Formats: sequence, structure tokens, C-alpha cells
Amino acid sequence: MNRIPVLEGSFVSEPEPALVGSRCRSCETVAFPASFTCPNPRCMDKDVAPAPLSRTGRLASWTTVHFPPPPPFVAPDPFVPITVVEVEFASEGIQVVGPLTGAGADELRMGMPMETVVEPYYADRDGEVIGWKFRPAEESNDD
Amino acid sequence: MTDVIVAGVGLHPWGKFPHKSWVEMGAEVALEAVKDAGVEWTDVEAMVSGAMQWGGSTGMRSGNTISAALGETGVPIANINNACASGGSLMRAAYAMITSGMHDSVLVIGTDKSPKGYFPSVPVLADEPQPPVDMVRWQVGIPNPAYWALEMRKRMEAYGSTEEHLAKVKVKNSRHGALNPYARYRKEFSLEQVLASPMVCDPLRLLEICATSDGAAAVLLVSDAKARRLGVNPPIKLAACSLASGEFGDPTIRIPLLSAASDDAASAPLLSESRLAAQMAYEQAGLGPEDMDFVELPDNSSWHELQYLETMGFCDEGEAEHLLDKGATTLGGELPVCPSGGFSSFGEATMAQGILQIVEVTWQLRGAAGARQVEGAQKAITEVYGAQANNSACILTT
Repeated sequence: MNRIPVLEGSFVSEPEPALVGSRCRSCETVAFPASFTCPNPRCMDKDVAPAPLSRTGRLASWTTVHFPPPPPFVAPDPFVPITVVEVEFASEGIQVVGPLTGAGADELRMGMPMETVVEPYYADRDGEVIGWKFRPAEESNDD
Repeated sequence: MTDVIVAGVGLHPWGKFPHKSWVEMGAEVALEAVKDAGVEWTDVEAMVSGAMQWGGSTGMRSGNTISAALGETGVPIANINNACASGGSLMRAAYAMITSGMHDSVLVIGTDKSPKGYFPSVPVLADEPQPPVDMVRWQVGIPNPAYWALEMRKRMEAYGSTEEHLAKVKVKNSRHGALNPYARYRKEFSLEQVLASPMVCDPLRLLEICATSDGAAAVLLVSDAKARRLGVNPPIKLAACSLASGEFGDPTIRIPLLSAASDDAASAPLLSESRLAAQMAYEQAGLGPEDMDFVELPDNSSWHELQYLETMGFCDEGEAEHLLDKGATTLGGELPVCPSGGFSSFGEATMAQGILQIVEVTWQLRGAAGARQVEGAQKAITEVYGAQANNSACILTT
């Protein structure tokens, strides 16, 4: 099946799955998704380049969506609730939202390590839409 | 700088009106506000109207559509869209037109019909190099209430707030709404009933998230001199009208964005635009939160009501639940919150909801709010909540 990235350039699968944002070479502000410019109002250089984010972050919040989102989302019938998590990447100073995978909402606790993976969101007639998801990770010292 | 006076108001009942057009609803409240002020349609010097995206091209130019219906007079018309903050943004535009001396009377109109359920994304050009983020977040599967639920979970973690607190907000607002003949929902709910309603985006339940409604409201603002000529009595003063946008480094993940500054790295407060809009309004009016007799805040969800009590300066961070628990926010309490019943009882009609608040406050300050009257009300503040960080606050005084 044709695999369609939900947003071109917003993640990589190889060598390891990671989000890709942009970082300003001048003020180091990180944006996700990548921006063509730097969102820091006090930065006038606005000299940005694509930058992968850390693979692992910490769980900052979550919610389970119990009603299907409207199109373009293609919801399975019967609908399977989606847990949306907010993951904080401390070294980038940013938090990012995405779907949870590999665990149930009842297994989540604030601050637990979460890693980025790339998985299908849903399939439509053009193919399988793929994007970033987050799953609980082993405790490590490198984030 | 002249004072700005609310000379007339008009409000349509809110609900679902499949057999009545938004044009008719808007024209009705426009005429009502003009008549309430005791002037003629041809006396209106300028109009601002909510650019209603669900109404397509004519909706985006709703002011011209309504003017054509009621009779074109050649006046300047500006159509504005600032999402749910549109009403406040319209008020701000009209306020500026009068304080600048450009016009003596400006009619503010908001009329809107909403799609049912989650607000979908508005169609965009297919040949852009990247899809808009509003499309991407739907593909990821993040409806608006999920953004609010993420903030509420943090609140529960930080302050020990409970699902019962969320339900209590709805119980209180449903009690207020039951007293308001213009509200869409006039049923009083018990705590058990709210807690038994379906979970939408946990911890937020169906009854704790405002519905999407059809509604319309209009206000005629005039200069102080014009109000005196008209003999407006009582002259309700628009003492402040602010408009603010988000600040860089705000940790709030905005509808429809996918990221924000992390809580640790944040260099601006949560809902920075809302905090700014309230501060600007207080400064402009020379008043503080302690001077307010009641507040109409944006209770888009129960989380909003708790958060905005803090964002608007009525209590410290984490104290809103305490105000709720001790009954301060109910009619008869020390700071009634949303005596109208709020968006919880009306539902969202994004172009009109900020103007609805002005109409309610005007009636309250005139002492004409009937069963939901806040005794002796003389000063009140309103604030809306707009997607993508835009916000407006108004202070009205007798």
C-alpha cells in the first residue's frame, strides 16, 4: 500500500524514528513542524535549518478522544478511541502532541519517558497515511 | 477621548434554526439594537460585522449582506473574523472608531450558524506546497476539546482538581441558564446527571463542553455627546475594550497547532493573550478585578471557567476550585460568573458570542436581567477565548 507522510519532512523513520523540526542557528529556538523562519520575536537573524528532535521525551499530559474526528480523518467503524499525548522534549524546550501507541491510557503516568515511532494513522483510497506516534520507553539517562 | 456608551442592544434566542437564515437573524438583532437606542436605521454611521466562515462568501461579508437586506446607506462596513474572539474584536474596532472621533455611532453585529459537533476545518487551496496545520491536526486526530482536556489534566495533576469540579461548573451554569429566556439550554442539571454524561475527551464530558449553536447579537455604540443628545438612560459606559494576541514562549498548545514551548522552558504565561487582554482592559478602565461585581467569561468548557478565573486575575493559580466550592461564583455569591448561563447554556456561535456577553452585561447594568439579575451590579468584565491566540476583554460600568 502507498505510504503517505501526514506532513512531508516532519519526521524520519531511518536510522531511527524521530520528529524533525527546525532550529535557528542564531538563537537556537526550535519549532515543530519545521518553519521557514524563526518564531522568536527578538531574533532578527532568522537563520533556520531542519533539525531532528530528541527521540525520547517525557509525558506532559494526555487525553482520550472518544468520538471520531471528522474528515480527512478516516475513523474505523466501530470507532476505537484515540489517546492523544503531549510529550515534552527538554533539550529542545518544546512540547509536541501526537497519538499514543503501544500502551493503554491506564498505563500512563505524568513524567514517564516516551519515545517517538512512525506508524500508520489511517488508510484512505490514496493509501496509508503515516505519521509520528509516541509510546512509553525504558527509563534512560540520555534525555 | 470621548466616552463610549452602549445605546442599544439586540439579542436573538440561541438554538438551532434550520428554517431561518443567518441573514434574517442578523438583520433582526441589528434593527432591534437600533430601535432600542431610539434612532433610525439611517442614523447608523458605520457597521462592523462578524465574517462568518460557515456562510461561505456572503457569510464572510455578512455586514454587507445584512445592509443590503435592511437598506443600503453607503456607510463604511468592516467584516472581521477572529474565531471565537470575533465578537470582542468587533467591539474593539467599533470602540476605536468612536474614541478616535471618526464616527458618533457604530453598529456591531454578530450572526452565526454553526456546523454540528466538532468544528471541521475550512476548505483550503489544494495546490499549496504543504497542507495547513489545521488539516494535519485532524489527520493526527485532535479535535478542539482535546486541547482543553490536555490542559485540564495538567491542572488536576498540579492542584488536585477533580472530575467533580468540572461537573460543578456545569451544574452552576445550568442553574443560571435556566433563568434566561434567550438561552438554548434551560434545564438544570444535577451533579450526578453531569457525571453520567458521555466522556468526550477525558476528563471533559459532553455536558462540560459547550455545544455549537445558531445565534445573533448586536450592539449600537455611540459617543458620549451623541448619547446625551439621544437621552440614553441609563448610559452604560464601555470603559475598556482590549484586544491581545499570544506571546512567544507561551506553553499553551493552540488550536490547531501541534507544539508549544515546554512548561519548563516557557517564558510567557499559559493563555498569554487572555491574561494580556484582561490586564489591558483593567489598566484602560483604571479598575481591577476586585472592583468587578460579576464576570461573563468564555466557558467554552468547564476547564475554561476554572482557568479564566485565574487568567483574569480573580484568584491565584490553583485557587479557582476553591471559589467554586465555596459558592462564590454562583448568583448571589461574591463574584457571580456567567449569570447569563454562559456558553454552556447558549452554545458557541463564534461571530456572536462576544456580543452576547455585552448584551447580557448591558441588561444587568440596566437592572433589567429579570430572574438572573445580579443585585446592584455596576461594573463587570467580559472576556472571550479565540482559537490561535487572540483575545478581547471589555469592561462596562454604569
